[in-house]
Amino acid sequence: MLELTDVHKHFQQADGAVRVLDGLSTSLAPGRSAALLGESGSGKSTLLHLIAGLDSADSGRIVLDGTDTSAFKDADWAAWRRDKLSLIFQNYHLVPTLTVADNLALQARLAGRFDGDFYDHLVARLGLSDLLKRLPHQLSGGQQQRVAIGRALLHRPALVLADEPTGNLDERSSAAVMALLTELVREAGASLLMVTHSPAMAAHLDERWQLTNGRLETAA
Amino acid sequence: MRRLLSVLTRVLLTLLSHYRRHIAQTLFLAIGLVTGVGLWSAVQIINDHARASYSEADQLLGAQASHWVRARDGAGIDPADYIALRRDGFTQLYPILETRLAVNDEPLWLIATDLLALPRSESPLGASGGDWPSLVQPPYQTWYPPDLAADFGIGPGDTLMLDDGRQLPPAALQQQPQQGRRLFMDIGAALAVLQRDHFSYLGVGELSSAETDRLRRALPNHLQLVDNRQRLDLTQLTASLHSHLTAMSLLAFAVGLFIVFNAVRFALHLRRPTLHTLRELGASSRMLSVAVLLEALVWSALGTLGGLAAGRALATLLLPPVASSLQSLYGAVVGTDIQLGWARILLAWGITLVGLLLALAWPLWREAQQNIRQARSASDDWAADRQARRWLALFGLLLAVAALMLHSRMSTVTQGFVVLGLSLFAAAFVLPVWLASALRLVERCLPEPAWKLRWALRDAWAQLPQVRVAMMALLLALTANLGVETLVGSFRSALTIWLDQRLAADLYIQDDSLRLAAFTDHGAAPWLVASHQRNGVQIRWSGRPTLIRGLNTNAPDSRALPLADANEHLQDWFDGDNDWVLANEQVHHLAGVELGDRVQVDTAQGPQAFRIAGFFHDYGSPYFQLYLPYATVERLWPNASPEGLALWLSDAPDAEQQAESALLAAGAQPGDWLNQNTIKRVSLRIFDRTFAITTAMNGLTLSVAGIALLAALLALHQQRLSHYAHWRALGVRYREWLLIVALPLALLVALTGLAALPLGALLSSLLVHDLNVHAFGWTMPLQWQWPPALRLAALTAAVLGLTLLISLWQVRRRLPLALKQLGEDDA
Ligand SMILES: Nc1ncnc2c1ncn2[C@@H]1O[C@H](COP(=O)(O)OP(=O)(O)OP(=O)(O)O)[C@@H](O)[C@H]1O
Ligand SMILES: [Mg+2]
Repeated sequence: MLELTDVHKHFQQADGAVRVLDGLSTSLAPGRSAALLGESGSGKSTLLHLIAGLDSADSGRIVLDGTDTSAFKDADWAAWRRDKLSLIFQNYHLVPTLTVADNLALQARLAGRFDGDFYDHLVARLGLSDLLKRLPHQLSGGQQQRVAIGRALLHRPALVLADEPTGNLDERSSAAVMALLTELVREAGASLLMVTHSPAMAAHLDERWQLTNGRLETAA
Repeated sequence: MRRLLSVLTRVLLTLLSHYRRHIAQTLFLAIGLVTGVGLWSAVQIINDHARASYSEADQLLGAQASHWVRARDGAGIDPADYIALRRDGFTQLYPILETRLAVNDEPLWLIATDLLALPRSESPLGASGGDWPSLVQPPYQTWYPPDLAADFGIGPGDTLMLDDGRQLPPAALQQQPQQGRRLFMDIGAALAVLQRDHFSYLGVGELSSAETDRLRRALPNHLQLVDNRQRLDLTQLTASLHSHLTAMSLLAFAVGLFIVFNAVRFALHLRRPTLHTLRELGASSRMLSVAVLLEALVWSALGTLGGLAAGRALATLLLPPVASSLQSLYGAVVGTDIQLGWARILLAWGITLVGLLLALAWPLWREAQQNIRQARSASDDWAADRQARRWLALFGLLLAVAALMLHSRMSTVTQGFVVLGLSLFAAAFVLPVWLASALRLVERCLPEPAWKLRWALRDAWAQLPQVRVAMMALLLALTANLGVETLVGSFRSALTIWLDQRLAADLYIQDDSLRLAAFTDHGAAPWLVASHQRNGVQIRWSGRPTLIRGLNTNAPDSRALPLADANEHLQDWFDGDNDWVLANEQVHHLAGVELGDRVQVDTAQGPQAFRIAGFFHDYGSPYFQLYLPYATVERLWPNASPEGLALWLSDAPDAEQQAESALLAAGAQPGDWLNQNTIKRVSLRIFDRTFAITTAMNGLTLSVAGIALLAALLALHQQRLSHYAHWRALGVRYREWLLIVALPLALLVALTGLAALPLGALLSSLLVHDLNVHAFGWTMPLQWQWPPALRLAALTAAVLGLTLLISLWQVRRRLPLALKQLGEDDA
């Protein structure tokens, strides 16, 4: 269960303070998925950063799985991300020196929660069986994003945060990757919060959150 | 035109503003330039200074004479003879007393003359305001050059206590160019204080050839007129030493250039966006190139100024030991007042500029090759790296071939250094290929390592392109350190063994006028086991100053002479056969003489030929030496003078005391004799001091390489910061980060060190077996020593640890910001 209560965040810029999140509150039940929609610059990425502890909120509470993260220190956050969270970015960000197999297993190994059966299952479902020995730069964009998805799920996180995961892909592979992502997240038993610009992508998910003026409007 | 200039200024200022924002990088660039130029110029300053001192040798008191009057028997000049000569109208003569004193076992030279007797044509010592009356009246004065006074902690009015208990008159500080690094006293005062009754020799001022002939005829039989060729000889004798120093400084400079290369490359890399923006704003690529060149000009000027200042400071530190060993080894009197000429400054600036342009040219060229908008992926980087490795290796191989070809026909010291430089750089250029192949091998040999280890090993490939240049610098520094340490270590142990063999006698009497019979009962005394009186004469042979020595071939030390080589006629030599001669190794290596060869030397009886029965080791001597039976030398060179007396004492506990009281009774002064241990100690100290500069240069070169490594690491981490942010987002702990980053780096450093081992051995072998022989004319056994190598390994590990700690601190400081920006580069 993800719960956000009265979250505020502003940035100091040359032309004054920008209130990006202004008393934002929402919640996401376990196993549910939500699309985060909004105009460019509305604060979608900022919200994801706050939930993942990459940046800190000015005020407000962020609670995941019953744990309040507002007092977390840097080291707590690192452990928290390793165990409970996953991040998926537009540019995949695989470790370029590691093989597909090692990239897939990376976060699960860091978390000390490598599950061989689930690994085999994910490899098969993601269609990566023939690519395991390759290095990331020898893969297409869609293939790389599938590796990133596998890496994000193998340790069975509570919450997957994805920032425009299909932004770099063409329509056909986008749809394929989206279908895989939502299905596998469900299999892993995780919640999913995904930033997207595309209503078509948003349609795959359970909820649609619209970010405007620093607050959320939820549409079913 | 004016518009163009103003645009150019704007472009240049935009480019330079980068350095204000990246202070660390600016610092590294500056450090690279300053240390490189500094080390190079320090040695140049020292060399220049020493050479200037040689060519100004005639300025020096005692060396300024065109001729000297010396006693044939080496006993010095009786003041009565001097007075008689001056009465005969030879007012160009002036008396000199030169002697070596010892304070805390440190050698110290003193020269004394009569200021009033110095001819007007000579540079007037003391004209610059010395206090003449205090100089000549008790309690007298000793004039110290200020730096020497500082070395011995002497202030005005202080009196210096010598090791033999005598005390010098109160000090006055005087900067006299003619004095050199020596103490000066009035000759009357010196005779009184040192209890001498003879001058060392007489200097002869400017004389016409007719007057010279008249003087020659007027000299009593026991005196002779000798040409002064000191300056010529010094220049020749010390040439090799100076080329050694120059080579070391060039190496330090090269290592400094590696830092500069790295820093410049990285600065250009970071400014790629700026360059593109400038280009989009309409600055032509030619203008950009001009701006970058101007930037190089600015940097070279700054680097030169800083480097010269650093070099001057370093030279001031290093010159006293160098001056002192030049004096001990070659008798060269070198002042310690440093001058920096314009030519030197311009040369330093030129060489810096060339270095910077070299460092700039390659990255700029690469930059021009690259498409502006082309996105670069890891694979592009690797491919580029692989290609760069191959090019470098190819170039390295070419250098190696050149080195091999030159080695086969190498005959001079300079060629030797070229071979050395070529081999070192060949190795440095091949290093990246070695590192890559060794990495691949390691990966293959560890069948299925744990995932963290695997990750760490794989990460080496991401680091390699960045640390390549730093590793090359490290290789150079490590190799030079190992090679030179081995050379110095081998030399030291060879010298120690040699001293033990050569200095077998217990006491050495330096007063040449003292004959054995004078203090024993006709050469026999209960405390005396054996004695050896030698005589000698200095001649020129084969274009070099040559010492002819007369030995008692049956004396214990003649029997134990450490020989490099001998033929079956060695026994004839021992038997006193006039036909055979022993020569030092230098005669073999520098004059190309073989065993059994006939050598012809000038004697008082005309040219005379001898055949070589053997070569003996004569470490560190710049002279040729020929050993003949005592009687032969006496017969062929009537002007040969006694050269000290060696005594072997009995085992009786008070033998040394008895010997000393006999010496005192015979009129010898304390300090006229030295015991074996003192000589050995002093010799080894001179040795250590001579190589102090080498050790200092080595240490500095290694630190420069350490800085190169640090600079490369910081640059690497700055570039990879967004990667590390992603690792951190996956939950990587700092100790995991450290492992993944440090392990491959340690591996690369270890692999570099591994490469340095055989290279260091090769270098020391080149130094010992080739260069040393060509430069100095003597050989020694090469002794590979592990302690220096282990010390070096520990030092390198410490440097590595330090750089890693600094980079960990840097990354921890910067990572929060990088985490906030995670994903931003994705758009
Ligand atoms: N580190 C920062 N410093 C200052 N302002 C920032 C910073 N990060 C974000 N902002 C500002 O906060 C606002 C929200 O940015 P954010 O990246 O969250 O938008 P977004 O909704 O993800 O937009 P996009 O759809 O373009 O990715 C923007 O106006 C941005 O300029
Ligand atoms: Mg965004």
